[in-house]
Amino acid sequence: MVQFNQEHREIALKVVYYGPALSGKTTNLQALFQKIDPKVRGRLMTLDTKDDRTLFFDMMPVFFRTAGGVKVKLKLYTVPGQVMHESTRRIVLQGADGVAFVADGRRSEQAGTLAYWNNMLKNLEANGLDPKVLPMVIQANKKDLPDPRDDDMADLRTTTVKPLVVPAVAIRGEGVVETLHILLTLIYRNLDRAVGLERNWNLSEREFLQQIFSHMDLRGTRLPPPLAIPEAPR
Amino acid sequence: MTLRPSVLQQVLSLGDLLDVRSFTEVCQSFAELYRVGLKVFDAAGNKLVDVKVGNADFCGYIWQKPDGRAQCIATVGRVKNDAVPEEGKPARFECFSGCRYVVQTVLYEGDALGRVVFGPFVPDDLTQLPASLTAISADFDARLAQGYMQKIRRVPQPTADKIVKHFAEILDVLVFSGHKNLVTARLHIEAVQESYRELQEKNRALEESFGKLKELDRLKSNFLATMSHELRTPLTSVIGYSEMMLEGLGGPLTPEQREYLGIIMEKGESLLQLITSILDITKIEAGRIRLVMSDVDVGQLMKDAVATVMPHARKKGITLVCDPGDLPRVQCDREKMRQCLINLVNNAVKFTPQNGTITVGADPRGDRMALFVQDTGIGISEENQKKIFETFYQVDGSSTREYGGAGLGLAIVKSFVEAHHGEVRVASRPSEGATFTVVLPVRHAAPAPVPGRPAAPSAASLPQ
Ligand SMILES: Nc1nc2c(ncn2[C@@H]2O[C@H](COP(=O)(O)OP(=O)(O)OP(=O)(O)O)[C@@H](O)[C@H]2O)c(=O)[nH]1
Ligand SMILES: Nc1ncnc2c1ncn2[C@@H]1O[C@H](COP(=O)(O)OP(=O)(O)OP(=O)(O)O)[C@@H](O)[C@H]1O
Ligand SMILES: [Mg+2]
Ligand SMILES: [Mg+2]
Repeated sequence: MVQFNQEHREIALKVVYYGPALSGKTTNLQALFQKIDPKVRGRLMTLDTKDDRTLFFDMMPVFFRTAGGVKVKLKLYTVPGQVMHESTRRIVLQGADGVAFVADGRRSEQAGTLAYWNNMLKNLEANGLDPKVLPMVIQANKKDLPDPRDDDMADLRTTTVKPLVVPAVAIRGEGVVETLHILLTLIYRNLDRAVGLERNWNLSEREFLQQIFSHMDLRGTRLPPPLAIPEAPR
Repeated sequence: MTLRPSVLQQVLSLGDLLDVRSFTEVCQSFAELYRVGLKVFDAAGNKLVDVKVGNADFCGYIWQKPDGRAQCIATVGRVKNDAVPEEGKPARFECFSGCRYVVQTVLYEGDALGRVVFGPFVPDDLTQLPASLTAISADFDARLAQGYMQKIRRVPQPTADKIVKHFAEILDVLVFSGHKNLVTARLHIEAVQESYRELQEKNRALEESFGKLKELDRLKSNFLATMSHELRTPLTSVIGYSEMMLEGLGGPLTPEQREYLGIIMEKGESLLQLITSILDITKIEAGRIRLVMSDVDVGQLMKDAVATVMPHARKKGITLVCDPGDLPRVQCDREKMRQCLINLVNNAVKFTPQNGTITVGADPRGDRMALFVQDTGIGISEENQKKIFETFYQVDGSSTREYGGAGLGLAIVKSFVEAHHGEVRVASRPSEGATFTVVLPVRHAAPAPVPGRPAAPSAASLPQ
C-alpha cells in the first residue's frame, strides 16, 4: 500500500505487472527500462533462471522530486508467471497500488488467461486488496502474432471489475508506455481521492504524470489526453 | 486472511544491504590504495566502517589537549550529522586542525541510505598550521605536530572529489548486489513458508470434509440397520401368514388364490433375503460381527448349500455338481460359511445361462482348505474383478439390468472370509465362466479384526 512520510515529504508507490507465464511481463519492464531516463530510475533487478523465466520478480525503481519538494518513489514489479510460483505471486502482490494485467492476446491463450485473471482476483483478496477499487489495466499483448483475440478480453471484464484494455506488442515497445500511463493516471486519481494529493501534497495529476513521462522516450507512443481516461467504475 | 509483511515491503538500512565484514575489507584496501581514511555511516548515524590511515599520531597528539579533544569531537559530529546535498558534488568539511573531509551521500533507489566520509586529508594548498590549531594550548609543539602531519596524505581537492565519487560508485554496485542477495534469500524463505501455510490450510479443509463424510457414513449405517430391522419384523408376519393360508389354516383356497399366495411368499422371501444382506453389511461396516467357532464338516456344509439352491438351478436348466469326498474338519463359524457358499452358488446360478454347469468342490492344501465354486457363465472382465467385492457394486449397474440383486453378496463373503483370516479370489474370462475360491485356515487363530470401524455407541445399542 502506498506509504506516505509526511516528515520527509515522501510518497512510495508500488505497481505490479501480473499475468500468465510468458505473457510478456518482464518484456514490459525491459522496454520501460530502455525508454526511461537513467536519471530518474535505478537498476533493473531481475531474479530469473537461466532460460529467462522469472524466478521471484523483476523490479525497477523510478523516483523524482516534485516542484513542491515531495519525493515520489515508484517501484515497478513483475510476478513470476509459472504455475508453481503461486505463493511468490501472492507475496509480490502485497501492498500493490495498481496492477497491470499482461495477457497473451492470442485466441489459443484465452482459457489460460481467464484462469490467471481469476487467480489474481483471489490473490488480491488474500492481500486485503479490493479488485473493485484497485486501479487496474489489462494489456492485450503479442498483437503481432497470428490468431489474435478480437473480443477485447470480454471474459475478464465484469460489471464490477472492468479495466481498460490496451493492445500491445511489448517486444517492440508498443503499448508499453500507454499501459503504464493509464495505470498511473488511475493510481493518481485513487490516491488523490483518498489523501488529497493536490490539496495536501501540492501535486497535480498533470505534474505527477509529467515528471515521469517527460523523462521517457515517447517516440512511437500516443498518450491520450488525461481527460480521455475514464474513471474506473466503482 | 492477510499475509505477513514481505521483505519487499520493509524499509532496509544500509547495514541490511551490505555484508559489513567483507565491505570493511573493501574499504580497507580502498583506503590503503589512496592512503586516506574512510568512514561509512548509515542513515541513522550508525558507524558501519571506520578505517584510519596516517592520522593516528597527529590526531592523537591533538586529543591530548582538552581543548583539542573538544574541538575534534565537534568536527566529527558535524561530519556525521550535518546536512549534505543528496545529489551533485560531495560536501567539504574543514577541521580546525587544517585537515579536511569530503562527505558523499549514499543514494540507492532514490533513498539516502547513509554517507561516506573520506578523510582526514591535508588540502594541497595548506602551507602552515592554522592558528585555530596552534592556539589550542599554551604548550602546543608546532614542530612536532608538523612532523606528524607529514604522515597524512596531501590531496588536491578535485582528486578528493573524484576519489569519493569513485567510491560511491563501487558502493552502489555493492549495495545493489547485496540487496539482490538479501531479497533472493528472504523471498525464497517467504515463498516456502507461504506454500506451507497454504498446504496446511488445504489439509485442514480436507480433514474437515473427511470427518463430515465419516459421520454421514456412520449415520447411513445406523439408518440402514434400524430400517432393516424394522422391515424384517412385519415381513416375517407377511410370509408366516401366507404360509399358514397355503397350508389351509384359513379355510379352503381356490387354485388362483394358491397361485397368488405362492407369489406373495416367493417375493416376500427374496425381500427378506435382501434385508438380511443389508443388515449383515451394516453390521460388518459397524465392526459388529462375532464369529461363533466350531469344528465344521465343510463337505456337509457344501452339500447343504447346494441343496438350498438346487430347485432354483433346476428351474433354469443348470447342472449342479458337488462331490467333495472326504475332507478334514475346519474350524470356522458354521452359519457364516454356509452363507458365503450360498452367496457364491447363488451368483453362479444367476450369471450362468441355461444348460450351464456349476461345480462346487474343495481342495485341502496342508493347513489351508480351498473351497471353490466354478461356473460356465458370462464371466467377469479383469477390470471388474477388482471391483465386484465392493458393497453395492454390480457389473451391470443400470436400472434396466438383466439380473436382480443389490450388489452385497460378495462384499459379505469377503468380510466373513477375512474375519476367518482367509481370503477369497476370483479367476475368470468374460463369456467363459468364473471360479470363486475361498481359502480358509484349517485351525483358527485369534479372531481377526473385521474390516470396518469400531461400533458407534448408538449403533451398538440397537436390537440385534
Ligand atoms: N511475438 C511477441 N513476443 C513477445 C511479445 N512480448 C513478449 N514476447 C516474448 O514472449 C516471451 C516471454 O516474455 P517474458 O517477458 O519473459 O514473459 P514473462 O511474462 O515475464 O514470463 P514469466 O517470467 O515466465 O512469467 C519472450 O520470448 C518474449 O520475447 C510480443 O509482443 N510479441
Ligand atoms: N459367478 C459370476 N459370474 C459373473 N459375474 C458375477 C459372478 N458373481 C458375481 N458377479 C458380478 O459381481 C457383481 C457383484 O456380486 P454380488 O454377489 O456382490 O452382488 P449381486 O449378486 O449383484 O447382488 P446380491 O448378491 O446382493 O443379491 C454381480 O452383480 C455381477 O456383476
Ligand atoms: Mg518474467
Ligand atoms: Mg450375489
